[in-house]
Formats: sequence, C-alpha cells, structure tokens
Amino acid sequence: MQNSSSSSSLMVKQEFFTKWKKGLKIYSAFNKEMTIMERKRAIKLSADVAIASTRSATTQWSRAVVAEVSSSAAGAARIAAEEILGRKLSTERRKAQAGKKIVRRRRKAAARGAVRSSAAAVAKKVVRNRRRVLKRLIPGWKKLDEICLIKETLDYIASLQVQVDVMRHLANAGETLHHQQILL
Amino acid sequence: MDKQHYLMNAGIPLQIEASMPIPWSSDQSFFNPNSSVDHHFDSDAFALRHLIGKLDRSSPAALPSLAADPGFAERAAKFSCFGSRSFNGRTSSPPGSATPGQSMVALPRVASSPSLKLNGSPPPRNRKLPGSGANSNEESSVSEQIPSGETGSNSRKRKSASRGKNKDHRSNSPKEDENLKRSKQTENCENEQECNENKTNQKPPEPPKDYIHVRARRGQATDSHSLAERVRREKISERMKLLQDLVPGCNKVTGKALMLDEIINYVQSLQRQVEFLSMKLASVNPDMENLLSKDMYQQSTSLPQQMYPLDSSSPAYYHHHQNVQQQQLHSTNISSVDPLPLDASLGIQIDGFAQNLPQFPAFTEDDLHSIVQMGFIHNTVQNQTSNMKVEL
Repeated sequence: MQNSSSSSSLMVKQEFFTKWKKGLKIYSAFNKEMTIMERKRAIKLSADVAIASTRSATTQWSRAVVAEVSSSAAGAARIAAEEILGRKLSTERRKAQAGKKIVRRRRKAAARGAVRSSAAAVAKKVVRNRRRVLKRLIPGWKKLDEICLIKETLDYIASLQVQVDVMRHLANAGETLHHQQILL
Repeated sequence: MDKQHYLMNAGIPLQIEASMPIPWSSDQSFFNPNSSVDHHFDSDAFALRHLIGKLDRSSPAALPSLAADPGFAERAAKFSCFGSRSFNGRTSSPPGSATPGQSMVALPRVASSPSLKLNGSPPPRNRKLPGSGANSNEESSVSEQIPSGETGSNSRKRKSASRGKNKDHRSNSPKEDENLKRSKQTENCENEQECNENKTNQKPPEPPKDYIHVRARRGQATDSHSLAERVRREKISERMKLLQDLVPGCNKVTGKALMLDEIINYVQSLQRQVEFLSMKLASVNPDMENLLSKDMYQQSTSLPQQMYPLDSSSPAYYHHHQNVQQQQLHSTNISSVDPLPLDASLGIQIDGFAQNLPQFPAFTEDDLHSIVQMGFIHNTVQNQTSNMKVEL
C-alpha cells in the first residue's frame, strides 16, 4: 500500500515537474533578462498553475487558482499558464453566484443572537474562528462550506506537499551544483 | 477495499461509507502517504477478533451475541483505526488496565463512542449508572473496580467532549426519555457488549438501496433532522481523521480546535515554503535555461550518494546514455526507458559522467525529466525508510 501510494504521488510529482518546466521555458523564451523578483514571480506562478492543473479542475481550489491567474495575468504569464493548462484562459469576471452563499451564511449567523458564555460555547466559537481562518488560507475559499472545506484542505495540503517537495529537490540540486562549482 | 465488501455483504450498517462515492480514499491514495488505512484495518480487525475470542472464553454468556455479529470486529476496527492512537491512549491511561480483556471491555464502548461522542451528552449520563451495574454482573475475571472506573472515565470524557456539541440540540428531552427506556434494558443485560448487540440485532439488515442508510444508534432521536445532522458530523469527523494522517504531528492532539490549529499552521508553513523556495530558485540561478540544464548536472552529481544499493552494471545503458548525450538537439525519449537501470549506470560511471558534463551542457527535457524522476524515486525510498514526512 505504501508503494502504491508513493508511486502515485511520484506520478503527480512528475506531472507537476513537467508542467512547471514548460511554464518556465516559456518565461525564459519571452525575456532573457529578468530581475530576481520577476524570476521569483515567474517560478511561483508556473508552479502554482502546474500544481493546480494536475487536478484538472476537479477541486475548488485548483479552479480558483486558475481563475485568479486568468483574471490577473499579463503577457508572458498568461501564455505560460495557457501552455501549462493546454487551453485558452477566459478573461471573464467571476460570477455573482458566490455572493448568495455568503449572504445566506451571514443571515444564519445573525439569527443566533443569544449570548452563551459557557465553556462549551467558547470552545465552539474558537473552533468556528479557526475554521474561518483555515478557510481563508485556501484559494477559492469563498465558495467553500464546512464539509467541502475539509475535503479541499486535504487535497490542497497534498498538492502543496508535492509542490514543496519538487521545489526543494530542485533547490537542493542547485545548491550542490553551486558548491561543486565553487570547489572545482 | 475488501473490508467494505465484507460489510456490505453482511448487510451491516456502515452503508454510509459504502454508498458514499469514494474517489477520495481509494483512488487518490497519495493522500495517505504514510499509509495504509487498510493496513490498520487488517491488524486491528485481527487483534479485535482475537480479543473477542479471549473474552468469549472468559464470559461465556457473551459468546453468542458477539459471535453473531461478524462485522463487529471490522466495525470496531474501522472506528479504532481512525482513532487508534486516541483509543490506545484512553484504554491504557487508567491504571491497572493492562490485560486485553479489560481493554476489550472498554473497546466496544469506545468503538461506538465516536458516533456517540458526537451526539450523546444524555446517553453517557444515563448510561453511567446502568453501565457500572451491568459491569458488576460480569462473571469475567475482570475486576469490578477497574472497568467501571474505566468506563466511568470514558463516559466522563465523552460527556465533557460532547456537552459542548449538544448545547443547542432541541431534541435533548426526547432523547432522554428514550435513554431511560433503553437504560432499563441495559440493566437487564448481563454484559454491555451484549446490549449493543441486542440493539443492533433487533433491527434486521436492510437491503442496500439507492440512498444512504443511517442506523439510529442507542438513545438517539430518529427524526430526519438529527439524523442528517449526524451523518454530516460523521462525514466531517471522518475527513478530519484523514487530515490527521496527512498533517504530521496531528496525531497527538485531539479535539477540533487544536487539530485545526495544527492544520492551519501546516498550511501556512507550506505556503511560506513555496514562496521561500521559489525565491531561492530565482536567486541561485541567474538564468532560466541554465536552471533547467544545470538541474540535470545537480541531479546526476547528487545521485551517486544515494545510489549505492543499485549496482547492477549495465554498460549497454551507459552507452545508450552517452549516445543521448551526444544528441543534444534531437531529444530521444528516455522516459520510455525504465529509470532504475539508467540511474544504476549513472551510479557506476559517475566520474566519467561528470567529466562529460561540461561538453554537453544542454540536455533535453526528457533527460531532465528522467533524472529528476530518479531523484524522486530515491528520495521517496529514503523517506519511506526513514519515515520522514516533512523536513522542515
């Protein structure tokens, strides 16, 4: 079981890595000289789009990442993202459907007016606050309700782990080469 | 997932799990990188069956009822596997409860407790007394003090944990009435497990239908709202347990608030790591193309330290790789080649390889790909052996 899970995560890592490199290549084809901040942004954007595309829009957060990129991306970034995803990005604004859910939630919250200061109520409040914080961390959090939140968190954490793992490998490799070059 | 097949065949309730779409745990199995929920199933189910056998020997009266429910071990295993650590902590913390018989006494209550815990502030309250009464009737070698103390502490824990969750339950009072009736039934039972079994045996297994079946547990209101609520809560708690497996260091904490805290910290740290690593990558290499080609060098040079076990010499592969080296522009598809022999060859010939490197700076993407692949394989193997999830 461990082997199968690690091999499937391996596949995800490979997929992510390929897509990421694709994006980076496009960036480098666009402008040879980039400042360090531009490079960093390019790297991060390519990585984010790549890891989101491994989900192929099945999860809320991946869709949100792609939507964010498509609405706020300029030249090279846009083309890199499109290349990674393999499709054209749509520039439309996000629909107003998300608003309805939020309104409903606010009304519900306002209905519970009674103030109970017992330990249990405090604990509940703490939990609720933390859920809210967690929600905000995940891209596309506006459309998440409680059950979906946990599911999305699961998926998002796993993808982040893949992303961090690959990037760390690359960074370590770069570092060792750097040291070798210095030594040699 | 033969456990679930078993459960379905036995018609045992847990069709909640069976009929829910499971793209989650079965297909995307890399969510449990550490492993093996199923693995836990097997060992726990086996252990539980063993314990049931032991208990049967000690208290023969309980034998038929326990044996009558074949899915009991699996169910308990299922519950216990998700929270195995917390269960172990609970059963081992009271002093003197060392024997498996005693823990077996605690386990059935504990096994059904995740569901009860979510809902039942009245049930533990009412069951505490008859519970200790039932325990005192036991003929087993288990001493009276310890089980009742244990179950008392369990129920106390459950009560405090679940009280908060049930403050705004409107259906508290009907539940208590039901509990009074049920508790009388408990007193008549000789053993608690038997009582659980009685309750579940009274309701014949229903044939699986299209919609989700929910079994109303002891002392629970059966109206649709609270049932749906309970299903929802179970879904949430089940997924929280999956999260627990995913987030390192989340096993020790119990309780939603702390766990959520851990999860938040972990997500934030992962996001920060991504930022940091992208910055690092941007600073290490002045140029993107260099980055892509250099990473090949780095992988190849960092590989040999990891590749000692793979010493299968295959000069043919090496030559093949050399040919690939010479074809800079024409990209041969190495990814079709099995990566392991390739990196074996790299391992042996690394000196010559390193010398060759400066001559062939621009490798193709596929080479890069396969080489990083190797890096991943090795690192995942290493991670497995050292059992590291995250290096921070």
